[in-house]
Amino acid sequence: MFDYEACLLACARGDQRALRQLYEQDSSHLLGVALRITRDKALAEDVVHDAFIKIWRGAGSFDPARGAARGWVFSVTRHLALNAMRNSYREVPLGDEHEPAAPPEFSTHAGQIHTCLEQLDPARRSCILHAYVDGYSHSEIARKLDTPLGTVKAWIKRSLAALRECMA
Amino acid sequence: MSNPLDELASEYVLGTLPGEQRAEVEQRLQHDPELRAAVDAWEQRLLPLTALAAPVTPSPHLWQRIERNLSGVRTPWWDLLALWRGLAGAGLVATLALAALLLTRPTSIEPTFVVVLVAPQNQAPGWVIQASNNQQIQLIPLGVMEVPADKALQFWTKGDGWQGPVSLGLVKPGQTLSVPLDKLPPLSPNQLFELTLEDPRGSPTGKPTGPIQAIGRAVKVL
Repeated sequence: MFDYEACLLACARGDQRALRQLYEQDSSHLLGVALRITRDKALAEDVVHDAFIKIWRGAGSFDPARGAARGWVFSVTRHLALNAMRNSYREVPLGDEHEPAAPPEFSTHAGQIHTCLEQLDPARRSCILHAYVDGYSHSEIARKLDTPLGTVKAWIKRSLAALRECMA
Repeated sequence: MSNPLDELASEYVLGTLPGEQRAEVEQRLQHDPELRAAVDAWEQRLLPLTALAAPVTPSPHLWQRIERNLSGVRTPWWDLLALWRGLAGAGLVATLALAALLLTRPTSIEPTFVVVLVAPQNQAPGWVIQASNNQQIQLIPLGVMEVPADKALQFWTKGDGWQGPVSLGLVKPGQTLSVPLDKLPPLSPNQLFELTLEDPRGSPTGKPTGPIQAIGRAVKVL
């Protein structure tokens, strides 16, 4: 198991080898996460670049009490990718060329979140997965599922409430 | 979910908030522990879903790009909270040094600002700066600081709201120095001064790069 806490501590001390190890461990996963959201490889690499710089700078202020270090590394990358999409106002067509090969599948993955997702109605589950994994906005999901925007917003709100209850 | 704060946190983490609201949440997260905790809980709930994105191998140059940009992006010392927390303890020392200075100074000089520069490690006062007007300051050593033969002391200042520190030149240990400030904005309360260890000809980047030897902020004297 990769020791994320020790890695961040070493980064905070200025040890670049630790950051390199994190890169070797996770850069492909992080790029995968960023690419699903940005749908553009160059932009996704920019996001991963910025994420590693942010992790390097922020390692000293990372508080292990707030959550697992691995989660923080992924959150930093995901939110940079989401910000890149939401701030640029660029409309990336949801056409086939940017479409992931298959809709997000989850049944093979263990974990409480997957059990709870399975309990949702399939259309609502798609909303959650398209939002989290693909970084789709409300209106992109509405277009994708051919469902009114208001309905999508309400579905997401209720699905999140259901997930919270299921995972409590 | 009846709690609006938790609802906001969940949509932030899910990614469905519009850009403007995302920025607001990120602003709030810095000083709102309740929202912070709600966001952290949602990050942990949804984190396993990141595994649904298939890994993609980065192009070979990505690491080099990252590595190239690491140097110089560490939090600069003037933004280090821990340093300033530590220096708060220097307050008493500074007060004592100030009192000594005020009691011993000739009556003809009316300093408007005084700065006591202390060592960041042990807060020992090393230098005093006094200014009798806004254009000229004097740097007065309280002892002789040891400087390695291949290094030099460089003198810096930074006012509130400045982009970064500005060099006031090189200083020899034990030397009393008069420095004109005519090319800088007038001295202001809380303005930062420090001495760092740099190459013999001064910092190659024009910004402090070496360890801080002494640091302090300007105090207005009535």
